[in-house]
Amino acid sequence: MGAPALSIQAVKAYELLPEAVAEIVGYVLPILEIVIGLLLVIGLLTRMAAIATAVLMLAFVIGIASAWARGLNIDCGCFGGGGALPPGQKANYLPEILRDVGFLALAAWVAVKPPGRFALDTALGLAPAADGDQSPYRDDSDADDDPEADEERNREKDD
Amino acid sequence: MGNAARRATREKIRLQREQERKREQRRRQVTITLSVVGVVVLIVAMVAIWQSTRNRSEGYAGELASISRTAEGDVVMARPGVNAPVLDIYEDFQCPACKMFEETSGDTIKRLAAEGKVKVVYHPIVLFGQEPLRGNSLRASTALRCVPGDRPWMALHDRLFKEQPREGDVGFAVDDLVAWGKEAGVTDADFESCVRGQQGASEQLDYSSRTMQNAKIQGTPTVKLDGKELGDTAFLPGELEKAILEAQPK
Repeated sequence: MGAPALSIQAVKAYELLPEAVAEIVGYVLPILEIVIGLLLVIGLLTRMAAIATAVLMLAFVIGIASAWARGLNIDCGCFGGGGALPPGQKANYLPEILRDVGFLALAAWVAVKPPGRFALDTALGLAPAADGDQSPYRDDSDADDDPEADEERNREKDD
Repeated sequence: MGNAARRATREKIRLQREQERKREQRRRQVTITLSVVGVVVLIVAMVAIWQSTRNRSEGYAGELASISRTAEGDVVMARPGVNAPVLDIYEDFQCPACKMFEETSGDTIKRLAAEGKVKVVYHPIVLFGQEPLRGNSLRASTALRCVPGDRPWMALHDRLFKEQPREGDVGFAVDDLVAWGKEAGVTDADFESCVRGQQGASEQLDYSSRTMQNAKIQGTPTVKLDGKELGDTAFLPGELEKAILEAQPK
């Protein structure tokens, strides 16, 4: 999260939101991404964080697809750069969309699966498994590596 | 019979306790969830507000250091005798990030130059290769070449960014360029014919490719302080000022 001017520029480059809204999104989005990433890493409110991630990914995919459809030649703004590309360079939207769809799938997985053993949710008794009754969640041993998958994604996105 | 009734009562109490326990747990979960959400909202809001203060233009409207074009075609803004540090600004009038840079840090740069703290060198180039971006950029930068310097140059320079066409639109019409120049205080009689004729266009293109090659420009804006690229610092007026003040000659 560097200069806010650059993230605002990255949002404006999509030409989808009114100026004022784009500005607010430009300020808030990078911070929100980091906070949601942290929540996923420590496993706090995992399900809500995963749903929020999925919603963001969906919004990104729509944004990128619409920029592509309109023939805008922007740097998609996913990795901190802002705005139009240098001469000769064509924006390559497909890999960005595929990547975000992949993250969307991961987020859905995290949202559907219960928090893992090392998640803070489990320690705090927020996980459904802590309810006392032997829910089917209990024997799910591989759930705790999901937050890690998303940690990677958020690292990537935040630079 | 009595036994069965006792068992039923016990069972009822057990169920009640169980329900009580579940309600308690539910309350706990809601409390924790709401607290975390509250803290998250608070953190996001506070950091966003802090970010917006770092991003704020200072709104300088004071006097400007003198501005003039060099033989190579660069435009220098500096107080007489100020030769260091040097801030090189490579920008394209059609580039949205350059517009952002000017809106954010432009005023701080003008003030520091007026205070004699920095020698600013503008390199208005044509970065884009495809139409209509290239044509827009070329018309605008060629028109600015018709202005020799000082306040009218800066006023038209700022106006060009302010009127930047949306990506994909044709803009910077010659009629507009002439009008904006006059509003910027250009009084030169040849200005209008210079803008309409666009005679400077080929020289502007030569200048651009020469500049991009020599300075190894990959994108715009590129901002260099004493030859070193600044990156994000260029977009943070406070940090940009600090960098410039730290680069003062001893």
